[in-house]
Amino acid sequence: MSLWIIVAIIIVIALCGAPLFTIFGALALYLFYSSGMDMSSVIIELYRLTDMPPLVAIPLFTFAGYMLAESNAPKRLVNVAQAMVGWIPGGLAIVVLVTCAFFTAFTGASGVTIVALGGLLYPMLIKEHYPEKFSLGLVTASGSIGLLFPPSLPIIVYGMIAEVSIDKLFIAGIVPGILLISILGVYSVRKGVQAKVPRIPFVWSNVGATLKAAAWELPLPFIIVVSIYGGFVTATEASAVTAFYVFVVEVFIYRDLKIFSDLPRVMKESMLLVGAIISILGVALGLTNYLIDQQVPQRLFEVVQTQISSQVTFLLILNGFLIIVGMMMDIFSATFVVVPLILPIARAFNIDPIHLGIIFLTNLEIGYLTPPVGLNLFLSSLRFKKPMLHIVKSILIFIVLELAVLMVITYWPDLSLWLVRLSSAQ
Amino acid sequence: MKIIKSIDSLLNKIEGGILIFLLLLMLFMAFGQVVLRNFFSGGIVWGDIVLRHLVLWIGFLGATLAASGERHLNIDALTRYLPGRIRGVVATCSDVFAAVICFLLFRASITFIRFDIGNNNILFANVPSWCGEIIIPVGFGLLTVHFIIRAILHAGQALQKGSPA
Repeated sequence: MSLWIIVAIIIVIALCGAPLFTIFGALALYLFYSSGMDMSSVIIELYRLTDMPPLVAIPLFTFAGYMLAESNAPKRLVNVAQAMVGWIPGGLAIVVLVTCAFFTAFTGASGVTIVALGGLLYPMLIKEHYPEKFSLGLVTASGSIGLLFPPSLPIIVYGMIAEVSIDKLFIAGIVPGILLISILGVYSVRKGVQAKVPRIPFVWSNVGATLKAAAWELPLPFIIVVSIYGGFVTATEASAVTAFYVFVVEVFIYRDLKIFSDLPRVMKESMLLVGAIISILGVALGLTNYLIDQQVPQRLFEVVQTQISSQVTFLLILNGFLIIVGMMMDIFSATFVVVPLILPIARAFNIDPIHLGIIFLTNLEIGYLTPPVGLNLFLSSLRFKKPMLHIVKSILIFIVLELAVLMVITYWPDLSLWLVRLSSAQ
Repeated sequence: MKIIKSIDSLLNKIEGGILIFLLLLMLFMAFGQVVLRNFFSGGIVWGDIVLRHLVLWIGFLGATLAASGERHLNIDALTRYLPGRIRGVVATCSDVFAAVICFLLFRASITFIRFDIGNNNILFANVPSWCGEIIIPVGFGLLTVHFIIRAILHAGQALQKGSPA
């Protein structure tokens, strides 16, 4: 009984805003202590971090993403996209979707996209006479849209916790991610046509000039995807190559980041996020191990099994549950807490852990947008100085569209898995 | 207050400096490993062990910066809506809680590392294990200090009349 009182107290402290790593740490310390083990067991579990090879990818990809975001890369990439698809009605909206996806994939949906790119793109949308409400909704929704693409940090963290191949997850996310962007793209084009936004004539020389300006940055996603897909490197090695490449390009070729003023700041800023993630990861390992030791997932499964018998119903309930989780927690904490619990249950319902990962991440992506506490809503409200309610209204249609895509992703496993099979058959 | 703030920023400078050095080291080492493995068929054997320990070091140093910048991941859905003064009090309490937990983790890591030193465990070659592990107690120790500093600063703000925390 006292266990539940302690857990309740710790949850209250969590709701008071204490750092989550101390919350997980407190739970782990208490649980190990109460089952008669030495508290240093928590540290033994934490030290297991150094046995996980993908760990190295976390700081390297994050560093690469922050360097890109802090350089003039956003501007150069927007220019390329504008020159290429600006002639389509609603072209600028597509530019927003594609460039935001690119940046979110690199910065891990930490809110950097809305802050760095939103400020650039929102005024452009307004200037081209897109409706204000649509523009606001689009920029807010785009802040987490690239989560399913490599080298997204949430995918890496999911892979580490679920112990599935990160390379495969990277490949699995591509088609669902493209589907999501396409659906939002079609809607945006329709909006563009309705609003009769001016179209930029397609000029070959413009395309050439913008391509040339961004020539060093454009190959990045292809380098990552091709090198992993082709089996040349692992995700971890890809992170080393990417970080080194971006470092050389932004510091020595474009010289957007000054070595002595910008670089130290970007390094500290990006590693601050890494520290926040790794501190949770470290203490959560102990907690997870304890839960598995006590067969909590199995017991949970037994309870679930008495209520739900079909895979279809289970997936539906899982989605509802995950959206609520996504509303309350950031994506990393949610992964640490929820994945170890749902993974064995999902396995028992014959759901592939890779497919589960894509469902999981899509849900959390929507969770970023759902009122009352979606992170993107707050960031957008702060960045564009609009009241929350206004943002919420502007985002509703995007939530509906994303939910529709979520249903497709959930009930069509092959959408996520066929490319994985194709690449492993090679 | 002033002294406390300057202790905080001095610590931050040292932590940040080491962090930058280690990140650069990691950047070049990780890239070097890939080059060695793919073009010279064989990286440094202990290279990957060092890299993974570097992540641990960088992670802890990043966490100390996150602590003093109040940027650790937390659930702020509720505290966001509290009025300034009460928010300051709540923040002080959660800082104290964080400091206590970090101190307990600090003590646990001392036990952990003592055990390893006692057993003369080896990381690789002649390097003893504790060299890689020492950041765990150091990191939790620093985190404890940072959260105490946060608690004092928040308490000070909450006590000051009318000023939002």
